[in-house]
Amino acid sequence: MKTGLRLFLVDDNPADVGLTREALATSPRHSAIESVADGTEAMAFLECKGKYASAERPDVVILDLSLPKKSGLSVLAAMKDAPKLRGIPVVIFSTSQLNDDVLRSYEMGASCYVSKPGNLADFFAAVKSIEEFWCDRVRLPRQGE
Amino acid sequence: MSSAGVKLALVTPAPKAQLRVLLLEDNQLDAELVLRALRKGGWDVTARVVQDEAAFTLALRTYSPEIVLADFNLPSWTGMAALDVLRSETPDIPMILVSGALGDVTAVECIKRGVTDYVLKDGLARLPEAVRRALEENHQHALRRQAEENLARKVEELARSNADLEQFAYVASHDLQEPLRMVAAYTQLLSERYVGKLDENADKFLGYASEGALRMQVLIQDLLAFSRVGRSGTPGAKVDCNAVMQDVLKTLGPAVEESGAIVTCSELPVVWGERTQIAQVLQNLIGNAIKFRGTEPPRISVQAEKEESHWLFRVADNGIGIPAESVDNIFVVFQRLHGRTEYAGNGIGLAICKKIVERYGGRIWVESQVGGGSTFKFTLPLQPPDQPEEGKP
Amino acid sequence: MKPDDIEILLVEDSQDDVELALHTLRAENLANRILVARDGAEALDFLFCTGPHAGRSFDHPPKLVLLDLKLPKVDGMQVLKQMKGDPRTQHIPVVMMTSSREERDLVASYELGVNSYLQKPVDFSEFRTMVKLLGLYWLVINQPPVADHKSAVAGQKK
Repeated sequence: MKTGLRLFLVDDNPADVGLTREALATSPRHSAIESVADGTEAMAFLECKGKYASAERPDVVILDLSLPKKSGLSVLAAMKDAPKLRGIPVVIFSTSQLNDDVLRSYEMGASCYVSKPGNLADFFAAVKSIEEFWCDRVRLPRQGE
Repeated sequence: MSSAGVKLALVTPAPKAQLRVLLLEDNQLDAELVLRALRKGGWDVTARVVQDEAAFTLALRTYSPEIVLADFNLPSWTGMAALDVLRSETPDIPMILVSGALGDVTAVECIKRGVTDYVLKDGLARLPEAVRRALEENHQHALRRQAEENLARKVEELARSNADLEQFAYVASHDLQEPLRMVAAYTQLLSERYVGKLDENADKFLGYASEGALRMQVLIQDLLAFSRVGRSGTPGAKVDCNAVMQDVLKTLGPAVEESGAIVTCSELPVVWGERTQIAQVLQNLIGNAIKFRGTEPPRISVQAEKEESHWLFRVADNGIGIPAESVDNIFVVFQRLHGRTEYAGNGIGLAICKKIVERYGGRIWVESQVGGGSTFKFTLPLQPPDQPEEGKP
Repeated sequence: MKPDDIEILLVEDSQDDVELALHTLRAENLANRILVARDGAEALDFLFCTGPHAGRSFDHPPKLVLLDLKLPKVDGMQVLKQMKGDPRTQHIPVVMMTSSREERDLVASYELGVNSYLQKPVDFSEFRTMVKLLGLYWLVINQPPVADHKSAVAGQKK
């Protein structure tokens, strides 16, 4: 098993961020988790602007759709428009199960779409699977491309 | 003026009823005769007499007659032209043509065009009764129109209120899910993290809180499913029930296997509706048949036959049956016949079936005996609504 | 098996890998409706409803395309490029599964929009584990879009 990912979590619900961190707390992979609560902060982080000047490029972005200031889909669009960010896989992690949201996410370049499960056990399993898959199985383009 | 020797079988209004007349007549004597005939017939008449279009139109607007009596032919105008003006100004006021000899053909034409009646000038004795009848007819029309309008308004209100309720149920269930998810997740986390580490009351309390939250989640999901039945929005289409059965049996696969159930199915028809909803009905009924089984493995049969105005579907099982007094209220939302520990579920499955079936204009009911199995029956229309009868389904 | 029911399109020319993958996916009950294309041209015919697959409709895409890089006739990168370049197929999840260790293949794939890129392990049992996890992740955890290709076309950047 490989050592952990740099995960970037964009979610405005602190309870869900808490649950995600809980889910990964016991993971042997020791992924590093950064999180922000709105779309504008997300872009600032990814573009290393202002207080995020020394932020490290994440390996995977876990993105909620309903965000204040800048929506998840516009963050996704901005990422795919930026040559330096385009290669970072984005996992949409959202409560919405609307097919429109799913379709739009794929159309705009999300790698996959996971809807947040309603119960604790499934939520934990989903988060752990996301980490396991993207950390152990997938080869990711590293720095700078 | 006496009508010597002629017995008039008139139904006169008594005591004298008031009548406000607009009389279109250029001949003064004829006008007099008309008014006298009315008075003789028991009417207390006030009248305005006009001869041309301008005066007529003005009178309609300012005089508010209850009835118009018009000559057929005037020097510069006609009774039928007056009728047109009447129809466009005050269509609710009836008109009686009072005229010299009219051929039968003309008379019928006039009535077809909207004149309520016609009376010959040499038969004015008939006039009071004709007026009474015209007013009565008008009154009845007005009443009926009013009733129809009331009904239409009530229907619209009901539809709006229904739509509001459904919207409310949907929004409430949908929006309730989020905070509930938080409560459920964190009470569970608390439970797991701190069980055994606080005092034993804490364990119990946490357990109850968790359990309550989880139950609420399921309840809300069920409510959401129920409220969605009306608002799905996908248009209907031809649905092959045999294909639907395949899907349903696949979905129920684990339950079928676990219970050893045998499900037989006769040739089912193609119906009109939404595939997911029809599947939901079959799935709920067959799922129930499996769930509420007796000591033997469930044997379930699904059949359909064509009756004069609908398809009659039958889902029969050999399960525990339903007591006679409960056959109606099992279809009520959240109504359950058994305790939570005996059989799982919220009691919404049948309510959903009923809502779906009734949405298509069908009925659902059950024939059952305790210990003797149940047969659920439901009907679906033969052809889609508002469509001409097709040759084959 | 009707062409519209395909859940996974496996594009792979190595017979051993095909058999192992099929066996794993079926044994884990992850998918029964798997179509195998032996080269890029066959894959493109299927996805774009041409040639022997001319009767197919764009309304029932597979939930997942497992794509090898090195393929006869048309290679995996070409297939990926065409898929991600066309609004009718762009939203279909594509997972590249290849023995290539070339960094530039990896980078190029992500640039083209591959959903994820996996390196085929040499070891058979590792391969099976990978396929199993792949299936689990992409078919169970992940929600594939239920495509309405008309809206897909309409939804493209205007």
